[in-house]
Amino acid sequence: MKSRLNLIALLALLCAPLSFAQGFKPARTVDLVVHTGPGGGSDVLARAIAIMVEKEKLLPVRLQVINKPGGNGAVAAAHLAEKRGDPNTLGLFTGVWLQTPLVSAEAKITLRDLTPIARLVLEPAVIAVKADAPYKTLAEFIEAAKKNPGQLKQSGGSNTSRDNVVRQLLQKSTGARWAFISFPGGGERIAALLGGHVNIMVIEPEEAGEHIRAGNMRVLAQVSEKRLAKFPDAPTLKEAGFDIPVVPQVRGVVGPPGIPRENVEFWQDFFRRLTRTPSWQKYIEDNQFEDGYQNAADLTKFYDEFTDRMREILKDAGVKTVR
Amino acid sequence: MEDRTRNSGDLWSGVALAALGAYIVIQARQWEYLGPEGPGPGFFPLWYGVAMLGLSALLIFSNLRRRSDRGNAIEWIRVGRALSTWFALAASVALFKPLGFVVSFALLTYFIVAVMYRRPLKIAALTAVASAAGFYLVFDRALGVPLPAGFLGF
Amino acid sequence: MEIIAGLLNGFAVALEPANLFWCFVGVLLGTVVGILPGLGPPATIAMLLPLTFNMNPAGAIIMLAGIYYGAKYGGSTTSILMNVPGESASVVTCLDGYQMARKGRAGAALGIAAIASFVAGTVGVLGLMLVAPPIAKFALSFSSPEYFALMSLGLALVVLLAGRSIVKALLAALVGLWIASVGTDLFSGTSRFTFGHMELLSGIDFVVVAIGVFALAEVLANMEAREETQLLPVPKGLKNLLPTMQDLKDCRFAFLNGSVIGFLVGALPGGGSTIASFLSYGLEKAVSPRREQFGTGVIEGVAAPEGANNSETGGALVPLLTLGIPGSGTTAILLAALVLWGFKPGPLFIPEHPALFWGLVASMYIGNVMLLILNLPLVPLFAQVLRTPVYALYPLILGVSMVGVYSVSGSMFDLALLMVFGLLGYLMRKLDYPAAPLILGLALGAGMERALRQSLMMSEGSLAILVSRPISAVMLSLAVLVLLIPMFGKLNAWRLRALEQG
Repeated sequence: MKSRLNLIALLALLCAPLSFAQGFKPARTVDLVVHTGPGGGSDVLARAIAIMVEKEKLLPVRLQVINKPGGNGAVAAAHLAEKRGDPNTLGLFTGVWLQTPLVSAEAKITLRDLTPIARLVLEPAVIAVKADAPYKTLAEFIEAAKKNPGQLKQSGGSNTSRDNVVRQLLQKSTGARWAFISFPGGGERIAALLGGHVNIMVIEPEEAGEHIRAGNMRVLAQVSEKRLAKFPDAPTLKEAGFDIPVVPQVRGVVGPPGIPRENVEFWQDFFRRLTRTPSWQKYIEDNQFEDGYQNAADLTKFYDEFTDRMREILKDAGVKTVR
Repeated sequence: MEDRTRNSGDLWSGVALAALGAYIVIQARQWEYLGPEGPGPGFFPLWYGVAMLGLSALLIFSNLRRRSDRGNAIEWIRVGRALSTWFALAASVALFKPLGFVVSFALLTYFIVAVMYRRPLKIAALTAVASAAGFYLVFDRALGVPLPAGFLGF
Repeated sequence: MEIIAGLLNGFAVALEPANLFWCFVGVLLGTVVGILPGLGPPATIAMLLPLTFNMNPAGAIIMLAGIYYGAKYGGSTTSILMNVPGESASVVTCLDGYQMARKGRAGAALGIAAIASFVAGTVGVLGLMLVAPPIAKFALSFSSPEYFALMSLGLALVVLLAGRSIVKALLAALVGLWIASVGTDLFSGTSRFTFGHMELLSGIDFVVVAIGVFALAEVLANMEAREETQLLPVPKGLKNLLPTMQDLKDCRFAFLNGSVIGFLVGALPGGGSTIASFLSYGLEKAVSPRREQFGTGVIEGVAAPEGANNSETGGALVPLLTLGIPGSGTTAILLAALVLWGFKPGPLFIPEHPALFWGLVASMYIGNVMLLILNLPLVPLFAQVLRTPVYALYPLILGVSMVGVYSVSGSMFDLALLMVFGLLGYLMRKLDYPAAPLILGLALGAGMERALRQSLMMSEGSLAILVSRPISAVMLSLAVLVLLIPMFGKLNAWRLRALEQG
């Protein structure tokens, strides 16, 4: 009898940490903070996640989207920083959250000041030209750019956006030079290309899809590690002979500072399970994202590498970095 | 039509705008005016800053010349009423965080009705409560537009 | 003709009872959303998206579109009654609309706003239906130099908004340009005029400034006088509850003006209803025989911008549906909605989904009629808001302003900014600086600077690009002409005086 008691005690002891780890469950509605207004990129993804969570019954409570636009992501980051210790608030970050603190002194909260939880997706891109452009490959464009330095033009977002990062890396590795013209909205960038006012652009595959199908645009190369399913004919940058690092556009989840280890593990696990659900798989397939799941530790490492590389790139581009 | 400008008002606003113009120009000089890839962030501000300086100088001079006109006296009582309303408004916004929108707005309404319009206190209180409750019901409840909430929870 | 066939098919779709229902829901919701300052169609549509999952796509797009153009009908209500611009496009309506209300003609103003919205909205749909592909192509030829010229033309209209002192109007416009520069520079990442506040990194919201400078300043100014019990005369008699025949006659050109300008500007990716309404107002003032009275309550001054911001919705749908390029904030969400339901807006959208396109077009005709029927009878009702004693009305206006601002971003910082701009607006009134040029400068400033820098980047530093391209050359010449209008006026007066003396 004594041995049975001991066995039970031993089992109880073994189970205790397990139950302790499973002890955290969100007690109230979970807030998912995004830095765009309703309808912006992060907002759309966050709402899709909320729908998925409900559909697949992944949480006992509701997930709601909180919009904290402004400050190029700084307002949302600051909001999260204020929620120190609160395990029921999460933030959906994008590359903007990583870049803004690098160039703006006013944006004081970096991802390291918050608690990295998981990386979710990578967004690839394609390099496209107008269908009647004389360039059949990216190499031809680079050649043309070398012959006429500064005369060819690319439309894109701000000078810290991925569009310009790709351009900077290509320029550095090939010695070619061409102009970069910023437009605040995707629509204007596409219009500039289709109207013949610029020669080339870096564009998300989703946005380009229909224009390519209609025959107005052509893809020269893809900015991704391996070829996307919907673009079997376009070479990746590496395949095309341009050995530059693929600096991805990322989306992931962070938490407020000061949340205990078990909360981080819970959320990290939760998002891993989310990325395995069929709804999620379908979503990233429809939107042509790449699954880029990383847990908290890997995300932290990724963040450090990413920011170091961005600092270098920005310096080459002549942009002042403040952190 | 005769330009009945308030002399001292024009002068002071001219000076203030000239100062703003100067500030803008100084800031703009710290940024890049013309970069290798086109005009920089200092380009536009420099130009409108200079324009501001020029136009406000024009304003100041044209006013100094017309000193002989009878200037309208500023009716300080009237301005005082407007400014105290503004202070009350700003105070109510400052109170949003601790007290929440509903309570602060009720207080603001009470102030305006009772003090600014000298209505009987009962009317003031009634208006204040009715307005604040109305906002709460329409925006917070019916439309789901969140109003700043204080420690009372609403 | 295939357009007629398409349209008939479209009506068959739009007149299905379910779709009619969704159309009504959409326009009703849109009207309510439009009346409330701050909360706008983009937020409303985004919130409704999950609910549309299980709807049939035709009904869903009909409803969401109804919210989009329905909101433009409602936006004039608070502008006219309270001088509170509901969204950026309604700012221009405040200029004459509120003044009409002060003169007891609130009903006529509200009524003409509804009628102009109907006429122009319908013209916008006509345009979408008939000339979408060539307009889309034309819009593509529009790029930064043309945008710069267009905005210069808009800014030149400052001169027409000047009132008594052109110097002060120009100074106000320059301050507007300055406020527009606050934030992160798109091209270089440099922070400008942020004073260390991270909230200012993305700039100052137009609505915050507009509500502060118009609504708050108005209330503060009215606080000066204590004893009036009812400053705003309630429209008495049927004559003032709705526009008269004379009013309608006066607005003939305004209807045309608003329809055409709104549609064209809306079709430009990057154009918006704010620019459309300003341009339309400016044009109306330029050609009107009673242009000096603009700003004191002239009915065409309400009809033109209200028409413009409605036909703009038709115009904005052109690049969305023919090219898959979203223009404004709301069309971006509509794009997201279409993608969510599995459609991919692009050049092949109309040929591949004719039922959806024509159903939408037909529903917009129906929707505009519904909105007219919905809004006109409400006009006398809304006008009664002015019966509220001022001591209750002004706090109400203050409350609506604050909630409006807060609902846009949920930010206390924006409320603080609202206070600042309210004080600024009051000071401007006391010192005789017109507010409209400041708002104009703010609306156009960022776009103008961007367009200029983009143009210079395109031309590698040469300003010639602005005049070598035909469209931008024409518009820049028009801008110069507009700037010279007061010059003509003064020359004329000088000439007349010389004749009298000689």
